Amino acid sequence: MSAYAGDRTTGFASPAADAIEGPIDLSDVLDLRRPSRYPVRVRGATFAARGILDGDVLIADTSGQQESGQLVIACAAGQVLLAELRAQKGRWWLVSGDDSREPIRVDPAQDVDIWATVTGVVREKP
Amino acid sequence: MTVYGLIDCNSFYCSCQRAFEPRLKRLPVVVLSNNDGCAIARTAEAKGLGIKMGDAWHLIRNERKLSGVQWYSSNYPLYADMSRRVYQVLLEHVPRVEPYSIDEMFLDLTGLPGDLAERCEVIRGRVEQITKIPTCVGWGPTKAIAKLANYIAKDRPEMEGLCDLTDERTRMRFYRNLPVSEVWGIGRRLVPRLHDAGIRTIAQFVEAEPAQIRKIMAITGVRLQAELRGESCLQLSEVAEQRKGLACTRSFGQPITIYGDMREAIAGFAVRASEKLRAEGMDAGHVSVFIQTNPHKRQDGWYSNQAAITCAPTNNALALVGTATRLLRAIWRDGFRYAKGGVLLNDLAPAGKQASLFAAPEEQSPALMDAMDAINRRFGREAIKPLSTGVERAWRPRQGMLSSRFTTEFGEVMEARSF
Repeated sequence: MSAYAGDRTTGFASPAADAIEGPIDLSDVLDLRRPSRYPVRVRGATFAARGILDGDVLIADTSGQQESGQLVIACAAGQVLLAELRAQKGRWWLVSGDDSREPIRVDPAQDVDIWATVTGVVREKP
Repeated sequence: MTVYGLIDCNSFYCSCQRAFEPRLKRLPVVVLSNNDGCAIARTAEAKGLGIKMGDAWHLIRNERKLSGVQWYSSNYPLYADMSRRVYQVLLEHVPRVEPYSIDEMFLDLTGLPGDLAERCEVIRGRVEQITKIPTCVGWGPTKAIAKLANYIAKDRPEMEGLCDLTDERTRMRFYRNLPVSEVWGIGRRLVPRLHDAGIRTIAQFVEAEPAQIRKIMAITGVRLQAELRGESCLQLSEVAEQRKGLACTRSFGQPITIYGDMREAIAGFAVRASEKLRAEGMDAGHVSVFIQTNPHKRQDGWYSNQAAITCAPTNNALALVGTATRLLRAIWRDGFRYAKGGVLLNDLAPAGKQASLFAAPEEQSPALMDAMDAINRRFGREAIKPLSTGVERAWRPRQGMLSSRFTTEFGEVMEARSF
């Protein structure tokens, strides 16, 4: 409304007036308006080797296919976990980021399921 | 042939809570009304424990058999955003969707290729995968039939969440066995009158003389008969009609007995209502205010009153606070314990651009409202607010068991432990 965007100058006409694109909108870049996108905050740093630190906000997507090697948000024993998904011997496993814990088998009947896959990461104050 | 579907989210509010807290998966969950008053959503496990819609929380909370129930205050920002997600997923699968209520949407299933049952199963699966919310789908040639089909899909586990009432013979079989009270729009008030007329099942309702039905429930009833026979009378509407009035009312967390507190509460309602007005680009030309004591506690004295006035069309918070406060002063009586109050705005019209003979006072300029709205959008609800709406607000509704706003507030998103 009142915002000056590089177009409406008072003296010399702006040569850029027909080329205004506006600032970058990160919620567009991260596609946050898609119904399958959810921000999730990470607690703990076992995935530091893959560049994910304590306090990072992940962009999780609930619409995707699961693939081996992917980072996922999973539910196990009523807890929400960030884990690596791995296919082995025809089964899916949740694998720890620093091998500090035994893998957990994905089994919806045991309330171990994949909630979403990780598609991006946002860090506010590196 | 036209086909309407109705998709309904199972225990919607509870399912929204469960979506972000997997520990709730098999636990009984109950969501309470504003002010933590009574049960308004229950999971199957909670229903199994005997908790009814409308049960007062303070009466049942200490029952031993309910010690494992997970109680939640209603978290409307969360529910609204999850409803938006469900709607968007549906739009990826069908050409037109009518958001009928926060947890039910009509679908236009006309002329879609392939098997409808398969398609509806895919839609259910997709909604559950993306939003974590389980649903049921019913469909048929009219909206009233789709609504009934949805009820059957939800009520009978053997239907596995789907019910197809496109076939007339299937319909008649259900009509003969279902009570007339299950028809969309036939409420508790009408049922005894239909019973008196010998109408107990849906089949009897459909076959009744239209003249007889018209006597009991006017033209709506005749239209419902036609809808249930498969003649479509109600169209899909993709957007809600422009509102004719707008209200902001609340029950107080504890009774208000002091005029100053009530003035704050009413000012707060006026500010909130003006926010809604501005969001829709409307002005209001009529303001009314009401206050009342608890009708269930008449032994404490009973008082209820309202006042209204026509004003110059505005959506300015400060102007509306002024008007509402003057109206409150006219109806306020000392010595009562007020339980509820509200501000209603009417005569809504698109926000006026017409030049006024007298310039509006400086503090009522739209620039101030624009700035306030922009700041509150950026820094959160009520980051800045008129001081007349109070600071302490002892009367504010109780929300003792509120969960995080997982999807609308950056500081409250779901947390995952790094494994």
